Amino acid sequence: MKRLGKKDELCIGCNQCVDICSNTYFREALKEKSSIRVNMESQKGYDINVCSQCGECIEICQIEALYRDKNQVVKIKKHDCVGCLMCVGFCPEEAMRQHDDLIEPFKCVACGLCAKNCPTGAIFIENVDLVELVALGETATAGE
Amino acid sequence: MIKVNGRDFEWQEGLTVAKLLEKKRYTYPKIIVKVNERLINKQQYVSTVIYDGDDVKVIHLLAGG
Amino acid sequence: MNAKEVLKGHKSLAEFRYELGQVEKGYTNRSLYINLSDNKVESKPVTDMMKEKFTGGKGFGLWYLWNAVRPETKWNDPENEIVISSGPLGGITQYPGSGKSLVVTISPLTGLVIDSNVGGYFGPLLKFAGWDALEVQGKAEKDVVIFIDGNEGTVKIEETPIEEKDGHQIGEMLTEMYAESEDDKRNISVVTAGSAGEHTLIGLLNFTFYDVRRKVVRLKQAGRGGIGTVFKDKNIKALVVRFRGVKGDLNHPSDISRINKAGVRLHKEICKFDDVQNKMRQIGTANIIEVMDEYDLLPVHNYKYGSHPDTYKIASNVFIEKYITQGKPDGCWYGCSLSCAKAADHFEIKTGPYRGQFVTVDGPEYENAAGLGANCGIFDPQYILESNFYCDTYGVDTISFGTITAFAMECYENGIINKEITGGLELNFGNAEAAMELLHQMSRGEGFGLIAGQGIRRMKRLFVEAYGADPKFLQDIGMEQKGLEYSEYLPKESLAQQGGYGLTNKGPQHDEAWLIFMDMVNNQIPTFEDKAEALHYFPMFRTWFGLNGLCKLPWNDIVPESNSSALEPAKIPEHVQNYVDLFNGVTGRVIDKEELIRQSERVYNFQRVFNIRMGHGKREDDKIPYRSAGPVTVEEYESRRERYDQQLIELLGYNPEGRTTEEKIAVLRRHREDQYEKLIDAVYARRGWNNNGIPKINTLEMLGIDLPEVIEAVQPYL
Repeated sequence: MKRLGKKDELCIGCNQCVDICSNTYFREALKEKSSIRVNMESQKGYDINVCSQCGECIEICQIEALYRDKNQVVKIKKHDCVGCLMCVGFCPEEAMRQHDDLIEPFKCVACGLCAKNCPTGAIFIENVDLVELVALGETATAGE
Repeated sequence: MIKVNGRDFEWQEGLTVAKLLEKKRYTYPKIIVKVNERLINKQQYVSTVIYDGDDVKVIHLLAGG
Repeated sequence: MNAKEVLKGHKSLAEFRYELGQVEKGYTNRSLYINLSDNKVESKPVTDMMKEKFTGGKGFGLWYLWNAVRPETKWNDPENEIVISSGPLGGITQYPGSGKSLVVTISPLTGLVIDSNVGGYFGPLLKFAGWDALEVQGKAEKDVVIFIDGNEGTVKIEETPIEEKDGHQIGEMLTEMYAESEDDKRNISVVTAGSAGEHTLIGLLNFTFYDVRRKVVRLKQAGRGGIGTVFKDKNIKALVVRFRGVKGDLNHPSDISRINKAGVRLHKEICKFDDVQNKMRQIGTANIIEVMDEYDLLPVHNYKYGSHPDTYKIASNVFIEKYITQGKPDGCWYGCSLSCAKAADHFEIKTGPYRGQFVTVDGPEYENAAGLGANCGIFDPQYILESNFYCDTYGVDTISFGTITAFAMECYENGIINKEITGGLELNFGNAEAAMELLHQMSRGEGFGLIAGQGIRRMKRLFVEAYGADPKFLQDIGMEQKGLEYSEYLPKESLAQQGGYGLTNKGPQHDEAWLIFMDMVNNQIPTFEDKAEALHYFPMFRTWFGLNGLCKLPWNDIVPESNSSALEPAKIPEHVQNYVDLFNGVTGRVIDKEELIRQSERVYNFQRVFNIRMGHGKREDDKIPYRSAGPVTVEEYESRRERYDQQLIELLGYNPEGRTTEEKIAVLRRHREDQYEKLIDAVYARRGWNNNGIPKINTLEMLGIDLPEVIEAVQPYL
């Protein structure tokens, strides 16, 4: 399973990832429209908040507007999504995003553009075994 | 004697919030407990002792289906 | 025959084309009027006056119905209407419980307005198709389907050859018929009655939505008051709406940000607390079966008792573990994370015409488990689910059916009716087989089912006139008021709830007020004035859901963290503020929580006046059967003797020593009946009504609902 991996301890809080993300998908540099966020107030240092591709949201959606693509990345079918925002409220990572300019929520699709530009390697694309993740209890199984 | 929701209730040595809820069969999960107007959190039910003369409120939040 | 083939057999009676509109700040500003007697279809404007005074939903329904009927109108007169309307907030997707439809008509049971709040997609899709409300008047000659295509802008009235009569079949068939593909099915909602609507006065309407995950048509019910009976009388097979393109901004709200914020906040609350609070996501309203039993409030044996040793057999865990499919997002409209619309999938039917079939049963909801089960002494989950399924598909109100059956059982056990009269049904408490057969008879229009289907009020009359029953005893134990059967809570030990049932507009349904815990357990409203205040505030607050297309459950079946320190926790102040935000966010108007109550008061008082205009709505109509207020029989008294003896001593200074049970019952009864009268005095005063329950002119003026015809209706009684 492809996802954006992170090492909080390497993050220097430059926020380049945030700008790249919102610029790529929404053509403006705006933290609120970025799928990745860096929490600066954390006591331990920087805290990178981004979707772990756990898939909990897939089970939450009553109309199956969320799915895993061929790389097992969790994606939103914008056409089907009505914008109920349940997935936003139920995301265990609080990494499903919502902005009032948009009807549908948005999330990290592990495109890796931010990782390419990260000066310290704090974020990176990784491939994790879905089966292993289930064993570790990191992903949702059907029936929550 | 103590008051539970404004009504008299027999007090006994060693009474705690948890024991009172059991005696009154207050099993409903959405309740607010106050002893002498002080809010008691769920985690403190076992450790909160009720003294003779205390005013206890066990407010059930249920308003029907 | 496949559904598309059947469609070819439809004969067009009328086709009406309309401009697709756009919803502006929650309103389309027009409504659809259909008369089935002459197949007239027209568009009517929704005026500013209507929005200001009636808000929407049930308010609009009442206003249209008021203009359609006369004081003499009976339920089966052609001028009676069925009006369906969601409300200005109906159809928003971000906040749980925002897809409700409100249905009003003149009820065959009560002769008054009945209003019912129902899930499913019809109301919101109707609005997005361009209509704030749908009025159906007149009667068709033969069975018709009314089809509203919200993308094409057409309304069609078509004669249909469909022979199927039951809700789940018609729902499936018409979804299949009008959907262009599997993906299109979720854009369709069907309204149907069922076979029992032809033979009983307790017929209901099913409102469908297509469950994308289960790939089945689900049914939600406008249950109370016999609306399905009116529907069948008009020869309507179904109403169908199709609208493709639901999105979170279709109401064109004034400020979507406020709606989004409130929605995400509530989703988070539900995510965090539902598991430790009500478990609505696991079991829905059935979570309180065992709670009611524990607090002696679960109706058992026709409301004689409040608990039973066998309740564990129908406790919520039984349904969770054995029947109800878990982990499905069971909302009856988009975005309902509270998800109470549970279902038992692949449930095998053991009796009746669908024996051997595997079906999806919607439920059980609390009312069904309590009414079909405990109240009839049937502690059998299989029976509860199967009778739930049959009630829905036959189009029978589960609450009325449960309460009627419980009443019939008590009459049977008392020898008031016997096997000869019931046609062989042994209606003892606990006889699931007999109860099931009674239900099948209602569908077939046979036997004792025809009698029971008339409702308790008419049964009482028949038992007195034909079988020499004691009218006083039947009045005491027949749990109906205004002609409507009681819903499934035992209000004996809560005076406020006796009023919560008795002082309602439509009859004893708990959707106006549920005060048992506030009153009986919490003792938060000890005085008559306190109770009257609660019987003002809560009915008004709850009325508001029905004006706006909303569900009551997300208000207080989930409680936010802030509530433990709230001044008035029973009101759930944080959620009240959410509703203010939603209303202002959608409509762009500026209301506060006080104006919210006034919006309801206008409509509530209007409905009371409507009842008065129909010849009721007065103090004598608010009387309640004594079974709801205290022990009628010796066995009832004896079962809770310690409690009642104690009350005689403490409240009345009456020494029960050496008194017979009959004497004690009489003393307690005098007291309790007196208390209820005092409660009425206090509530009428708080509501601004005179001592006969008539809204005073200055009350109507203050609320701005002093329309000339309203004043005219109350004038003779003031």
